[in-house]
Amino acid sequence: MDVKHFLRNLSESSGVSGYEQNITEQISTACTWADDMRRDKLGNLIMLKRGEGTKPKKKIMLAAHMDEIGLIITKVEKGGFLRFGTIGGFDQRVLLGQEVIVHGKTPSLGIIGAKPPHVQAHGEQNKAVKLEDLFIDLGYDTKEDAEKLVRIGDLVTLKREVIDLQSSLLAGKAFDDRAGVAAIFECFQILSTLHHEVDVYGVATVQEEVGLRGAVTSTYGIVPDLGIAIDVSFGDQPDLRESETIKLGNGPGIAIGPHVHPKVYDRMVKTAKEWNIKYSLDPSPSPGGTDAYAIQVVQAGVATILLSVPLRYMHTSIETIDYDDVKSTGKLMAMFIAGLNNEFVEGLTCF
Amino acid sequence: MKETIRQLTEAFGPSGYETEVTSLIKTMITDFVDEIKTDVLGNLIAIKKGASNGHKIMFAAHTDEIGVVVTHIDKEGFLRFATVGGVGISTLVGNRVRFPNGIIGVIYHEKADWKDLKIDKLYIDIGAESKEEAMEQVKIGEFGIFHREFCDLGNRLIAKSMDDRVGCAVLVEAIKKIKEPRNALYFVFTTQEEVGLRGARTAAYDLEPDLGIAVDVTITGDMPEARRMEVSLGKGAAIKVKDSSLIVHPKVKQILMDLAEKNKIPYQMEVLEFGGTDAGAIHLTRSGVPSGAISIPTRYVHSPSEMIDIRDVEASVDLVVALANKELNELN
Repeated sequence: MDVKHFLRNLSESSGVSGYEQNITEQISTACTWADDMRRDKLGNLIMLKRGEGTKPKKKIMLAAHMDEIGLIITKVEKGGFLRFGTIGGFDQRVLLGQEVIVHGKTPSLGIIGAKPPHVQAHGEQNKAVKLEDLFIDLGYDTKEDAEKLVRIGDLVTLKREVIDLQSSLLAGKAFDDRAGVAAIFECFQILSTLHHEVDVYGVATVQEEVGLRGAVTSTYGIVPDLGIAIDVSFGDQPDLRESETIKLGNGPGIAIGPHVHPKVYDRMVKTAKEWNIKYSLDPSPSPGGTDAYAIQVVQAGVATILLSVPLRYMHTSIETIDYDDVKSTGKLMAMFIAGLNNEFVEGLTCF
Repeated sequence: MKETIRQLTEAFGPSGYETEVTSLIKTMITDFVDEIKTDVLGNLIAIKKGASNGHKIMFAAHTDEIGVVVTHIDKEGFLRFATVGGVGISTLVGNRVRFPNGIIGVIYHEKADWKDLKIDKLYIDIGAESKEEAMEQVKIGEFGIFHREFCDLGNRLIAKSMDDRVGCAVLVEAIKKIKEPRNALYFVFTTQEEVGLRGARTAAYDLEPDLGIAVDVTITGDMPEARRMEVSLGKGAAIKVKDSSLIVHPKVKQILMDLAEKNKIPYQMEVLEFGGTDAGAIHLTRSGVPSGAISIPTRYVHSPSEMIDIRDVEASVDLVVALANKELNELN
């Protein structure tokens, strides 16, 4: 399977937090390796690949979120213009001038319009437009016409095709965190050629961008012994300090912080060295922003780690990654899992 | 209905101290339910068993209200206080507070510019002339509520704690109307919503429902120069799409919209960009509960004069009743 192509399609598809159905279908269709697959009540897609160990087998959960940030219609105005709010933390400055898809009765194309520079008040040009002053133009003449297609609460996604940049970089709108989903697929492709004792649950989680919600319920349902969240972290770019970023092309970031179990961390680093997989250390002292944080405290607690694909321009329509990092993230997880035995997993409860 | 709302809104029940409200509700509904109980957090749970093959629906309306708690009594007998739940400074000055024993006080401020007014510049005056006299009437740690009577303006009603006693009133009326429901109904009058959706969390854990529905108030945008919000008084029950605590399950949203259309119940869509409801706690319980919310449009939420429209309340009752009897196989 060409996972890179799969990721390209995923990034171009629409699946705002709470409305991930379309993404779920694509992932479940592409998932040929699972022994069992189910969706939970919140929509998390849970894909199980059984291990070869003796029962009771230990369980490892890989979680990457499939939802993306988006917009939601809050008002249909005179002239058929639409006002909107956000779902998840959009960078408001980059919304102006975007092409969007309004998911009304049928999906339709729109644009986020702006006041021309010629008629802006003095001082207006060097300020970012506030969210409440932005609007979507679908091309309708009247409010009544627009209301035939759109109602309050309908969702809006950005329309953006993935483009190839130099040196195997890709730019697209939803690599946060469908790159993580692709990393799970890369992992399973390698795992299918290896032996592993533990049961592996690959989970495409929902509603991460609005508060790590899918991770809470999916972890409760699985009760894993060990959890790996795969998300994105700030890639190197101008105007960010080196200490705040991890480098594109240098493999996954391995997080260190209160949400990372030290024994899992040590073994992950050891695995990377053993198999010559490049990685960056990714200190995260305030760890609230990823599924790892939610997974850690479900039920009686889960030994957790976070791997991050470096990504530039987070929460814009041009999120940029190096596909080689997705592959090496998948490889690192596969080698880690293949090396797991019951003894190590049991040892995690003795902190 | 108006009398139910009057009684409920005039009752005393800041977060954590809701017993007066839950006891009142209990007397209103005991004859109309199969079973009634409370749990360790004080939630009142009333059950209508329904048909054997129905789904288990949890309806939640919170009984608690915002208020104050006394933190200090000075030597002149003035009380200092902290707030319970989201209380805006601008609603406090000149407002009256009532304590559980009926003692009334007025809130005022030290010398300060209005824009610099913070909670530590405010105090409560209960008319005591000394610390000793004050302490005979009110203790440190005592919870109080805003003292304000119910007022009937015709279609529109004003009261303190419409948030969320009007939601309680909706459930009370629905309980009286529903005869032999298709689904198993768990009406939960929750505690401690205003301080973090706490009662709903434990009740949902215990009940493990198939569907969770919060009945709570939402803000409107139909006042002069109001913040943009496409919900108005008198335009029907509001079906929630999202708030800060919850994105309503798409199927649940659709079920409610279809029911309203089919039964000709007036409704409007609610997109709330901040704030939360009990459904936010319910939907993350155990391995997840599909959840939604029916909201009663309310002006001046979290002030002592919250205004609702009785026609919206009636539409909300109708929607609860319709859902109680709806076959819900699409949730399987």
